[in-house]
Amino acid sequence: MCHQTVSLAARHLEANGIPTVIMGCAKDIVEQCGVPRFLFSDFPLGNSAGRPFDVESQAATLELALRVLESAPAARTTVQSPQRWRDDASWKLDFYDLDKLTPEQIAERRKEFDVVKAVIKTKQSGA
Amino acid sequence: MTFAPEHDVPIPYMQRTRDYYLALGYGAYRWAHFDDVPFTPLGTPRARARVALITTAAPYQPGLGDQGPGAPYNAAAKFYKVYSDATAAVPDLRISHVGYDRKHTTAEDPSTWFPLARLHEAVKAGRIGALTPRFHGAPTNRSHRVTMETDAPELLRRCREDGADVAVLVPS
Repeated sequence: MCHQTVSLAARHLEANGIPTVIMGCAKDIVEQCGVPRFLFSDFPLGNSAGRPFDVESQAATLELALRVLESAPAARTTVQSPQRWRDDASWKLDFYDLDKLTPEQIAERRKEFDVVKAVIKTKQSGA
Repeated sequence: MTFAPEHDVPIPYMQRTRDYYLALGYGAYRWAHFDDVPFTPLGTPRARARVALITTAAPYQPGLGDQGPGAPYNAAAKFYKVYSDATAAVPDLRISHVGYDRKHTTAEDPSTWFPLARLHEAVKAGRIGALTPRFHGAPTNRSHRVTMETDAPELLRRCREDGADVAVLVPS
């Protein structure tokens, strides 16, 4: 949801005269929405601004985003960071991998999500 | 010649999320999708530009459960209104309220989702002109309408109030 939120916000800022760049990890969500400029890092969600405890990685990610900001020739410009999370890409298979869940675990996740939905409903009604 | 493995592509989050929640018994979510995309060329060279930072991270809220690194998804820590805080300070932000990759990232280093320290360094090095006095927090709402009609206009208002020339948006 984070990537959709910032995509919608970037579109609104841009339509009102403020150039934007998004730094993110969910390429499909951002491009499905359609944004002016996007620096894509092929990292696990939560690392949009670079690798943890790696100032060099974070500085390089920001610098590339700023270069996208200043040099994108048109809307829907996506640049992919050359950084790799690790050589072995098998981590990409794990996110919401249903094959690794038993029916009992799926039922448990459903229960947990029902609780989450109830909390959100309560908070929203009080917001 | 050796090709990369078939799975070594950007993760198809929309498909995975759709399949996951369908398996749990919920309906499919309709992701935002537009055929037109606005574009504003940079009006100020970036070395002189005043940059606004927009995040989806949440301020730490004592009493609302575990919000630390690796905490389970914490819906109670979500926020529903745009907030702002000073860029001159070091805010205590957390991401327990969003669906980051809890298996492959620990969320122990806030600089991986909130590049404020790196932006300060960029100002010092002359790579950008300045930071706006405040950064802004964007609520992650399932409702496109709320984001587009309430939150995005509020973010725009605050960016203008701060004299932002450009904005860097970073999802968690």
